[in-house]
Amino acid sequence: MTTDSGSFLTALRLADSFLPVGGYTASYGLEQYINEDRIEDGDDLRDLLAAYLRRVVGPCETVAVANAHAARTEGDLERLLAVDERLHAVTMPREFRESSTKAGAKLCELLVAGDDVRTPDSGAGVADAIEQNSTPGHYPVVFGVVAADRGLSRLEACLAHAYSFVTGLLGAAQRLGRFGHTEIQSVLESVQPVVTEACERYVDADVTTMSSFAPLTEIMGMRHERAGRRLFMS
Amino acid sequence: MGYRDVAKIGIGGPVGSGKTALVRRLVPTLVDEGYEVGVIANDIMTQEDADVFRDSFADLLPEDLVEGVETGACPHTGIREDPSMNLAAIDEFTERHPNLDVVIVESGGDNLAATFNPELADYFLFVISVAEGEDIPRKRGPGVTQADLLVVNKTDLAPHVDADLDVIERDAAEVRGDDPFVFTNCKDGSGVDEVIDHVDREVLFA
Repeated sequence: MTTDSGSFLTALRLADSFLPVGGYTASYGLEQYINEDRIEDGDDLRDLLAAYLRRVVGPCETVAVANAHAARTEGDLERLLAVDERLHAVTMPREFRESSTKAGAKLCELLVAGDDVRTPDSGAGVADAIEQNSTPGHYPVVFGVVAADRGLSRLEACLAHAYSFVTGLLGAAQRLGRFGHTEIQSVLESVQPVVTEACERYVDADVTTMSSFAPLTEIMGMRHERAGRRLFMS
Repeated sequence: MGYRDVAKIGIGGPVGSGKTALVRRLVPTLVDEGYEVGVIANDIMTQEDADVFRDSFADLLPEDLVEGVETGACPHTGIREDPSMNLAAIDEFTERHPNLDVVIVESGGDNLAATFNPELADYFLFVISVAEGEDIPRKRGPGVTQADLLVVNKTDLAPHVDADLDVIERDAAEVRGDDPFVFTNCKDGSGVDEVIDHVDREVLFA
């Protein structure tokens, strides 16, 4: 896998928490795990993140990023919207869907809707569909479009997305719990191979295989709606 | 119609300075003046807080024009570096209420460096309390120096916390130059009319 400097910088930009799409407001159930004292140390956090990667990010979101990237590359708007619809259907907790679609809309507004490189049959089409609420506009789908437009390969797009998901959750964990910065980096280091493993396993998966199996995470996401403490939107 | 089509007032300031009290004073007056108003509170901690907020405006605003936005324990990020979730909430307001005139965005309590992103707030009020110490203005925090209007609240507490209002007035004038500041006691409403005058003149009639 090689890439030019421009694409490499785009990957850094898309994976950076500096990207203003509200990522810092989402914990995807992590806040509820901590509310219920289910995460106590770095090992718990490491195990949880590995489970997220293997059961949600890989088989669900990576499949969405990869298929959205392919649909954008082929200029196939119908396929792109089908990816979005499928992701909406397999994302169970309401707050997970809301965090993802709000971030997706903001990424679209920022990097797709006003983008000169868009083509009428894909980039602009999805931006219009999101603007008109005719498709949910999930973040991984818009991410796939943006990555394809800017020359990232499908695998690079999946890796950048999965990595930013992990650092987003680690940032949330650090703000919610008592984790030191070196411990957080240690967890990141140890789950990095799982990021690669999940992305390589699912980068070529067909959209019809998109699914997640993380019942406890989904229950945490649903309980968070009525949580006694809420610092995060999900 | 979206967030760019509505006037937006940002209210920031430290924890406990009286931001919510000021919002509670501003909203009835603006509604009384005939404006359709939306309110966003950042960093409500529980759904119970959100319900209290909705209850306090129950007779003034439709329930769907009062919204809580969680900022993931990063109040300054939500109003400055990445206001996207606040802007998304404003977009939802304008979709449901296309005649909306103004949205008040109350930041979560933060430090003296917190300022509003100009794309989120057309007008930015920074609220401090005399109980935080008479030296707050002369510390020249960006919130104090860059706000469109500095509101010095809880003036009634000054004698109880050894804060000299003359010192605060002198320092505020020095660090803000020609930019305005107002003394208020949001508990009894004194000074609030002057805040309203600034908002009317600088935002709504601008």
